[in-house]
Amino acid sequence: MNDKQAFIDFILDHYQNPRNRGALAEPDIVMKGGNPGCGDIVTMYLRLDGDERIAGVSFEGEGCTISQAAASIMTGKVLGKPLAEVSQLGAETVVDEMGRELVANRLRCATLALNTLKAAGKKYRAGQAARSAAEAQIEDF
Amino acid sequence: MDSARVDSMEAVAARRSDFPALAREVRPGVPLIYLDSTATSQKPLAVIEAMDRYYRQSNANVHRGIHTLAEEATALYEGGREKVRALIKAQSVREVIFTRNATESINLVAYTWGRANIKPRDLIVYTEMEHHSNLVPWQMLAAEKGAEVRAVPVTEDGELDRAALMALLARRPKLVCVTHMSNVLGTINPITEIAAEAHTVGALVLVDAAQSVPHLPVDVQTLGADFLAFSGHKMCGPTGIGVLWGRQSVLEGMPPFLGGGDMIRRVHLYDFKPNDLPYKFEAGTPPIAEAVGLGAAVDYLNSIGMDAIQAHEQTITAYALERLEEVPGVRVYGPAAERRGGVAAFSVAGVHPHDVAQILDRFGVAVRAGHHCAMPLHDRYNLPATTRASFYLYSTLADVDRLIDGLYQVKKVFG
Repeated sequence: MNDKQAFIDFILDHYQNPRNRGALAEPDIVMKGGNPGCGDIVTMYLRLDGDERIAGVSFEGEGCTISQAAASIMTGKVLGKPLAEVSQLGAETVVDEMGRELVANRLRCATLALNTLKAAGKKYRAGQAARSAAEAQIEDF
Repeated sequence: MDSARVDSMEAVAARRSDFPALAREVRPGVPLIYLDSTATSQKPLAVIEAMDRYYRQSNANVHRGIHTLAEEATALYEGGREKVRALIKAQSVREVIFTRNATESINLVAYTWGRANIKPRDLIVYTEMEHHSNLVPWQMLAAEKGAEVRAVPVTEDGELDRAALMALLARRPKLVCVTHMSNVLGTINPITEIAAEAHTVGALVLVDAAQSVPHLPVDVQTLGADFLAFSGHKMCGPTGIGVLWGRQSVLEGMPPFLGGGDMIRRVHLYDFKPNDLPYKFEAGTPPIAEAVGLGAAVDYLNSIGMDAIQAHEQTITAYALERLEEVPGVRVYGPAAERRGGVAAFSVAGVHPHDVAQILDRFGVAVRAGHHCAMPLHDRYNLPATTRASFYLYSTLADVDRLIDGLYQVKKVFG
């Protein structure tokens, strides 16, 4: 119970005092995510350094405690990490951070921010591919 | 508290012992307070045992065998149909079609009557308070046929905008689809009046009765609609069976739904003749045990009486609305208690419905949080979701008290 109460306090703290909330100036990637089933939404902002490490991260959003606290927690978790590493993170990361007992039946809410971060990584890669394809085409001429 | 109410509460206490699930604890020391019957009802022992007995003693396929078990199974299956017919006062068992659930019943109409009768630019009318199951099939049909769908708006206090309905009827729609009772607002719509108005312009009327048949007396003769769809699992019966009632003359004119065994009279190598009603719409081995269970559920409901069930739920709902209003920050959506069924969807200021439901669950109180398959209705109130408590024949005033206690705990956590 103590353990559970600690997780509850941790989650409520992140919900009521969110870290890294608000739009990021000059982001490299902006990605929106949402759970249509419950109306949770988050927008993740990412800025990368030259080594594709996350040099800046923030979020905006609206929704339940779990989804918004998870977004706040995840910004702290991924800051400074290589983008490629974030793409490898699984739901377990979030569950471990937030307490299995509390989020086991709320996985969609808990993983919304993580999945949006991963989608942001994909979007960035797709953009890169498109850019290099465009460059390749230009070279062809 | 008047004596009638006390008597009824004593009867309810006895009735609760018919439902094994209501006796369980969700965690050691935390009894279950089940306030999610609008999603699905709990099952009385009589239903569980009827299905168990069927499988132990009479299990066989229906409408085929000459052997004893096949005859028993057929009699039990058709017995379930007769009980449903009597419950809704249909003229004939030929008008009672077994489906998988209310959703499939509505889709059956869209796929058969709809495909045969809806033409480009035809108008289909539904309402803003419909469950997705009475919206999406019509959107799909309209997209396929190039037809138009228009929704009757819902007023701020959760009633249908009748003037807007009249204006849409003036455009002579082919079909009007309307819920008998909203699964979010609890609004009970005046189907008899709406059906009469729709018929004057030649429209057929389909009623989603998933929330009404379990909770109040429904008489298809009085309602005057053309189709009525409902599910077994919301009325003390099992999952996997639903009912489509249709007016016989309309059903006879409709092409079959799914093709296969049982729905045919004669099959040739390159064509077939469909079977008579209701089998024309029941392809393949039907939900036999489920029909037996549904029959037992109808018997159970009748043993209490649909009038008594509705009166009991009204008592509980009036008390729930009264108590919910006293909790600061709680807003209940929908009409006054006397104009609604046993549903209370509400919001708690500053707390997301999922969080409300999760904290209530810690106290054993089972409610539903979300859009309750009615996203357009939530859009209308600018809400992403609500928390919904719903009541049934086994709900008590004490259940409501536990809900309110839980809501004060919610406010404490988010204080």
